[in-house]
Amino acid sequence: MNAIVALALKDLKLLLRDRANAFFTFVFPLALAVFFGYVFSGMYGSGGEGVGQLPIAVVDLSGGPESRAFLADLQADAALEVTLAATQAEGEALVKKKKVGACVVIPEGFDEAAGALFAGKTLEVRAYVDPTRGAEGGLLTGKLNELAFRRMQGAFTDPAAMRKSLDNSRAALDQSDAIDPAQKALLFDMFDSITKAQGGLAAAPDGANAQGGFNGWKPIQVTVEKLEFTTAGRAMPTSSYAVSFPQGVVWGLLGCVMAFAVSLAGERAAGTLLRLTVAPIGKGAILAGKALACFLACLLVQCLLLLLAIGPFKVRVPDWGVMLLVVVLTSFAFTGLMMLLAGLARTEGAAQGLGRAVVLILAMIGGGTIPLFILPAGVQTFSKVSPFTWATISLEGALWRGYAWPDMILPGAVLLAFGLVGFVVGVSAMRWSSST
Amino acid sequence: MLRLENLVKTFGALRAVDGVSIEIRPGEVFGLLGPNGAGKSTTLAMAVGLTAPDSGRVEITGHGSPTSPSSRRVLGIAPQALALYHDLTAEENLRFFGRLYGLRGSALKGRVDTVLAMVGLGDRRRDRVKTYSGGMQRRLNLAAALVHDPALVLLDEPTAGVDPQSRNNILDLVRLLASQGRTIVYTTHYMEEAQKLCTRVGIIDKGRLLGVGTVDELIARHGGKAVVTIERDDGAERVESDDPMVVVAKAAAAGGTLRGVRIDRPDLESVFLAMTGRRLRD
Repeated sequence: MNAIVALALKDLKLLLRDRANAFFTFVFPLALAVFFGYVFSGMYGSGGEGVGQLPIAVVDLSGGPESRAFLADLQADAALEVTLAATQAEGEALVKKKKVGACVVIPEGFDEAAGALFAGKTLEVRAYVDPTRGAEGGLLTGKLNELAFRRMQGAFTDPAAMRKSLDNSRAALDQSDAIDPAQKALLFDMFDSITKAQGGLAAAPDGANAQGGFNGWKPIQVTVEKLEFTTAGRAMPTSSYAVSFPQGVVWGLLGCVMAFAVSLAGERAAGTLLRLTVAPIGKGAILAGKALACFLACLLVQCLLLLLAIGPFKVRVPDWGVMLLVVVLTSFAFTGLMMLLAGLARTEGAAQGLGRAVVLILAMIGGGTIPLFILPAGVQTFSKVSPFTWATISLEGALWRGYAWPDMILPGAVLLAFGLVGFVVGVSAMRWSSST
Repeated sequence: MLRLENLVKTFGALRAVDGVSIEIRPGEVFGLLGPNGAGKSTTLAMAVGLTAPDSGRVEITGHGSPTSPSSRRVLGIAPQALALYHDLTAEENLRFFGRLYGLRGSALKGRVDTVLAMVGLGDRRRDRVKTYSGGMQRRLNLAAALVHDPALVLLDEPTAGVDPQSRNNILDLVRLLASQGRTIVYTTHYMEEAQKLCTRVGIIDKGRLLGVGTVDELIARHGGKAVVTIERDDGAERVESDDPMVVVAKAAAAGGTLRGVRIDRPDLESVFLAMTGRRLRD
């Protein structure tokens, strides 16, 4: 065991001392993650700015003239793209399918409340937003408040609606036992005064009503809730860095695989493998030492990138247990890939060539260049042949796809299989001297 | 100490080693002398268990097969290639190789200090190997073979491509190792080195062992006679003789003016020429 640790520490030391390898394993992935995170910071989640037209679903459960008018206001708003939904469940389903960013519900009683505002009724609107679209959620809250206020203001400036509201309020006040008779009398006097004044409002030109005496009164309640997303594969990134850091990890893993595969081929060519072979440690220990070094480097590069992601870049890890599993399985899979490459390549040049020809391509289609969920469906399917794809899926699952333990069974099993196949084939194909 | 029995190794159509049998005795410096491509390194690779022979057998006396852990603990090899990590320092290289042999703590530190002093690299111990000259790297390559204090040391062309200073250092080191009672197998194509260092020499060419013996035995058997060249005013005379001093004495007694006398004794080059019809460096 001591020899394996010595071998691994030696390889890690050599990795860190080789400036090119250290750069491509640790610095380049970080630079890439930060760069792409910054470039695409407008595309996802809380990092998003400059949002265009927001698609929403609207459910009108009230079905009266006031709710229809409110719906018309929503449809007329240039910032919103409205899709009608029959039920709240249907609207929420559209959110989860990413068809819309939010589901706005005009609840039953909206019309009743609009007609009895003076009786203490509240004009209520509820919205259920995609949790990954923080910026749009904020926009929608403001927009709903604005439109609901406009509706209420419209009711006060419409003499008929105002009269109806006052009548409704007077009737509700009359039936109430909770209010002191003296207060009731005062309120009835106030309603009468408003009714008298309303005669003047009705006669006044439209422009003169705009600054009426009810401007500061906002008996409106807009409730915005985030929908819970528990179904894997339907979520969107919480920020651009949640996408770019898995991309960075892909390049870091590529750096590890290349560095250690080339180093093993290089040891064969340089003769150090010969010296290791004649030591009393066995070939298994030599390979275990090399594998341990690669495994630790994969762990290190992932931990380093994750620490930076959750630190300065505020990427959230919902479940650290799942993340730990992902990091360990990914490290195992890529250690196996390194062994495969080292076993198949007879020379350093062959290892580098295989790396460029095969591993680089696998990394590129596996989420290294373009985020997987943006790729066309056909390419996404094809990319399943790449272990990088499964690493990316797993990392994204742990970062923002909302993966729970059961969701990790398939990608975990695939990563495990990649690792095992790499080990078995790589060790079987291994040549211990340059002449044989 | 080391017994090679009828070793055969072929690579494709090439019969690299063809029936080599040698018994190397404890404490001797055995030289395997032959031109490049003669089969020396392949023989050495089979001797340490790096390459399996197609047929034949290798035994480390008292330890069995060279691939057994106990055999490997008594074996130390300095390959012809510089088997070192160039981005590590000399000390880091030696500490690493020492740990592979189970050395720890003060024992490891002591051995590292000892071998660095032996090869004269104590003052450069913390420099990375890639900053060393070729000769220094060659000396460190040798030190790495010695860090675990092996009883049997195999040196494959240890002076190939080194400067005269490092060459002398290495030859002195081999003498020191021999004086400590270690068994040394030394492959070279430099006849002078084999002649200076080796207790016994095996001549190998085209994979076949042509002869084994002490230098004197080989010369006596295969080297032919010494050539005495006597120069007088009227010209030079060449005489072949088993006893050149008798020839010189007779020439002096014959009178006249001797302008010069040169004795060319047979050497391992003569032996190789006699055995193969070619020179060592052909």
